[in-house]
Amino acid sequence: MTLAPAHVAGVGMIRFGKYPADVTLEGMAVRAARAALEDAGAGLDTVDGLYVGHVFGGPVAGQRIAAQLGLDGRPVSNHENYCASGATAVREAWVALAAGLHDVALVIGVEKMTDRVAGGVRPDPGDLDAAVGYVMAAGHAMSARRYMADHGATRDQIAAVAVKNHAHSVHNPYAQYQKPIDLAQVLDARPIAEPLGLLDCSPISDGAAAVLLCSPAGLRRLGITASTPRVLGVGLVSGSVQAGLGDPNAEDVSRRAGEQTWELSGVGPDDVDLVEMHDCFTIAEIVRMEGLGLVPRGEGAAWTAAGHTGLGGRLPVNPSGGLLSRGHPVGATGAAQVCELTWQLRGDAGGRQVEGARTGLAYCKGGTVNGTDGGSVTTVVMSR
Amino acid sequence: MSTTTTVDRPFRADLLTLDPPRLLGSRCSACGTTTFPPRGFCPGCRSGAELETVPLTTEGRICSFTVVRQAPPGVEVPYVLAQVDLPSDEVRLMATVVGVAPERVALDQPVALELHPVGTADDGTTLLGYRFRAHPEEVAA
Repeated sequence: MTLAPAHVAGVGMIRFGKYPADVTLEGMAVRAARAALEDAGAGLDTVDGLYVGHVFGGPVAGQRIAAQLGLDGRPVSNHENYCASGATAVREAWVALAAGLHDVALVIGVEKMTDRVAGGVRPDPGDLDAAVGYVMAAGHAMSARRYMADHGATRDQIAAVAVKNHAHSVHNPYAQYQKPIDLAQVLDARPIAEPLGLLDCSPISDGAAAVLLCSPAGLRRLGITASTPRVLGVGLVSGSVQAGLGDPNAEDVSRRAGEQTWELSGVGPDDVDLVEMHDCFTIAEIVRMEGLGLVPRGEGAAWTAAGHTGLGGRLPVNPSGGLLSRGHPVGATGAAQVCELTWQLRGDAGGRQVEGARTGLAYCKGGTVNGTDGGSVTTVVMSR
Repeated sequence: MSTTTTVDRPFRADLLTLDPPRLLGSRCSACGTTTFPPRGFCPGCRSGAELETVPLTTEGRICSFTVVRQAPPGVEVPYVLAQVDLPSDEVRLMATVVGVAPERVALDQPVALELHPVGTADDGTTLLGYRFRAHPEEVAA
C-alpha cells in the first residue's frame, strides 16, 4: 500500500547540547518550531495540528509547548516510542496528511535530559531486563563482543564509526560536538561497558527539532510553488519475541522495518544515496545497516574502516555526525534526522553535503523489551 | 505470644522456584519451543497450543557478556552482565555472572544457576533473584 507523500515545507532545530536549567523543554521546542515556520515562510495560523515526540517531558508536554508557541486550541498529540519518538510523530503527521485530516502539520521532537537522566538510560523498571542490571550500553557492548567473535571484526574497526561521525560533525553547526577525534582517543576513553568506552556512546543531551509537513493543498495555503523534499513513507515496526539460540545480531527487526519502508515508499535499497542511522552506540550503526540489508552481513565494521560509509564513500552514513556527535536528546533525534535529510536533499548541507543526494533514509530504534529484538524501529524515506 | 517465621521467597513467583532452585519457562505442546520468562503464547509457532510451565536446566554457557563500568546512581559497578544460553532448553536469557574476575570472563564459558537475595519485602521476607556462577576453572585436563 502506498500513501500520498508529505511535502517538507520547512525544518528547524536548535543546536543540541547541555543547556542550563533555565532553558526549558517548552522553550527549546518553541525555538525549533519558529525556525521551521520561518524556513517555510509560514505563519502559526496555517498550522492544522501539532505532533510532539518526547520521552521524559511529562504529561501533555505538547500542549504545554502549544500554549507557549501560540498553537493553543489546536489538535495536539504526544508520541512516546523512546528514541524513535520524534520519528513516530513524523509518521503520525504523514498519516494525517495522507488521510486528508490535515493539510499543514507541525512536528516537534524535543527532550530535556541533562537535568533528569544520569549515568545512562535504561528500560522501564517494570521490564525484567531492568531487574538484572541492564543498561542500554550493556546491550550494545554484548552485541559488539559477539559481532567481533562471529565476523572477525576488530575493536579498531568498531571505533572507526565514532571517528567517522565526529569528522562529519565538524561541518554541522547544530551538532553538540564539532571537533574531530582520532582512533586512539576512542580506544583510550574511559570504559563504560566493555568493550565500549565513552566515545562509543552517544551523549545525554538537550535539544529540539521541528518539521513542517504539508499536503499539496497545504503547500498552496503557504504559497509555496517551488519543489520541496518529500517524505515518501515512514515504516514502523516493533521487536518480536525471540525463541531459540540464533545470532544475537540478526537484527530481524531492522530487516522488517526496511522491507516495510520499501513497500510504503516504492523506493528500493539500491536507490538510497545517504542514511541517517541511529548510532546511539558505535556498534549499533554497523549491525543496523546490516539488518536493513544496506551493507553485507558481517562486513559493516570493515566497510567503516575502509571509508565506504564516510562522506565521499560508497554509501555515506550519518553526514550530520549522527547521534554520537550531534547529540541524542532522545525524543528529538528522529525529527533532527528529517531536518538533516531535508538539508541534504535541498543541497543546503554545506561542508557535509552528499553530492547529488536524491534519496535518503533515516532510521531510529527506540527502547528495549525483555526477550525481544528491540522496542520500536522507524524508517523514514525521503526524496527530493 | 506468637512467633512468626519468615521464609525466603522469589522476587517474582512466576519466574522461579526455590526448592529445587530452578528458573521456570513455558513449553509449547505443539512445537516444543521453550521460553523464559513464561509467556501466554508460543513465539515459535504462535499456534495457540497449550503451554506448560516447566523447570529449566541450571547449566548454561555465555553467549556474550560485558563488564558494566558505569551505571545510574545507586548501582554498584563493576559487574558482569551476560547473555546466557541454556543449550538443553534452547533458551537465552540475560543475567549477571559472578565467581569470576571480570578480566577472566570468556565467550562460551560454562556457568550454573544460583539464587541470591535481591531485596526485602515489606513483611521482612527476603526476596530471591537469579544469577549465574562461573564453574571452577580447575577442570581436569
